[in-house]
Amino acid sequence: MKSSKVMIVEDEALVAMMVEDMLGDLGCEVAGSFGAVTDALAWLGSGEPTPDGAVLDVNIGGEMVFPVAEALREQGVPFVFATGYGDLPRKGFESIEVLAKPINVGALRKAVDKFQPDE
Amino acid sequence: MLDLASRDDVAAPDTGGLVTLIETIEALSATRTISEVADVIRKAARRISGADGVAFVLRDNDKCWYFDEDAIGPLWKGKRFPLTACISGWAMLNRQTVVIPDIYLDDRIPHDAYRPTFVKSLVMTPVRMEDPVAAIGAYWAESHTPSPEVVQKLQVMARATASALESGRLHDSLVDARHHGTFLLQELDHRVKNTLAIVQSISRQTLRASPSPETFAEVFENRLLALSQAHELLTRRSWGRAALHEILEKALAPFSPELAERFDIIGPALTFSAETSVSVHMTLHELAVNAAKHGALTTPEGRVVIRWTVDEGAAPPMLTLTWREVGGPAVSGPPERRGFGTQMIERGLARDLGGKATLDFTPQGVVYTLRAPLSQRMSLAA
Repeated sequence: MKSSKVMIVEDEALVAMMVEDMLGDLGCEVAGSFGAVTDALAWLGSGEPTPDGAVLDVNIGGEMVFPVAEALREQGVPFVFATGYGDLPRKGFESIEVLAKPINVGALRKAVDKFQPDE
Repeated sequence: MLDLASRDDVAAPDTGGLVTLIETIEALSATRTISEVADVIRKAARRISGADGVAFVLRDNDKCWYFDEDAIGPLWKGKRFPLTACISGWAMLNRQTVVIPDIYLDDRIPHDAYRPTFVKSLVMTPVRMEDPVAAIGAYWAESHTPSPEVVQKLQVMARATASALESGRLHDSLVDARHHGTFLLQELDHRVKNTLAIVQSISRQTLRASPSPETFAEVFENRLLALSQAHELLTRRSWGRAALHEILEKALAPFSPELAERFDIIGPALTFSAETSVSVHMTLHELAVNAAKHGALTTPEGRVVIRWTVDEGAAPPMLTLTWREVGGPAVSGPPERRGFGTQMIERGLARDLGGKATLDFTPQGVVYTLRAPLSQRMSLAA
């Protein structure tokens, strides 16, 4: 099976490194890893091949990640949120799965299993 | 709240309006907001005073705000006038009740504002005599002098209104405080979980690079201590910004009791947002650990020069920071495998700041260079 290419948006470098590490263990490739909403949006709009899925922290240095989620949805890319907020208000994204932090690898595996790479 | 309007149906006599006055005071004591207070006064004040109209006026800085009214004809509901240009302002500024038997004979009255109305005489009494926040006005369509009893009842009502407004204010501040407390707890929960995710990351990646449980324990604990110190600094700053000089002092203290003995620190005052300062701290920790294990801090004469400058001509202004080790053992080249520490050094902080970091193993010693734009996360101290 081809490995999924996964995008990461996470402002905390140490957490991002761990998510990258976990995704590697799960047989995924990191398509791009971003610490700011603007960087993530620029990358999505740059004509790079769209990722197969994305793991999004919600509060990115005080900025909400929702514009990135919107862009992914438009491009038909599945994604999950990963956040330390217990009760996360996410208007318009209520159906999106939320992974709690610290991150449970089992839960992450279930989420990325749904990211199917294009043949 | 009592439905005062329905008292019209009650047959029992209300001698001198005293029952209504007492019921009004009771109703006021149950109010929580200014609108509720205004509602009670609007419904009761006319009956208590026998006036043809009443107005409830709020002080809004240097304006009188005719907040609500009940009268036989329209008064000034919703309008604002300067305190100095209306009689409610006069009553509030002079902290006294004013009785005007014929408004057109009194210079304190802005006659033009009254001409379209039915008003010929009035009583105006301030609410909270020592520092008025509102006023209650009673108006009559004929020139006459209201009886002392009427004035007294209006003043009683004004005093009850003052305590109603005060308890409303207390109630609001209690509700605010409770919301704030709930908010703080949620924020704390979020930060604890984020911090636990960082600990999870450190433990996972330390484990990956550890040949033995002993090494794991030592390296992990040192990283945990560094993280704990980073948080101590944040708590001291109420999770506000932290200064680079302070972070350096904290992060490097375990490696040199007298900082100046080993480190030359040269640069303008720079501050980091709370989240970023944790990355700064951890990066400095990893650099210092490497220096103490393999680099300049392994020899008695070795030193580390930490220097940073900000190019303010660039847009956005650009920081260049270098960590240069001198006087240590000759460096033969980069290590064979890049562990978590090296990754943290090369990627962590640079990623947080949207910049670039390099780690060069020059023969004279390790040189770490960070170039990153100033932003909300990193800025020159004011």
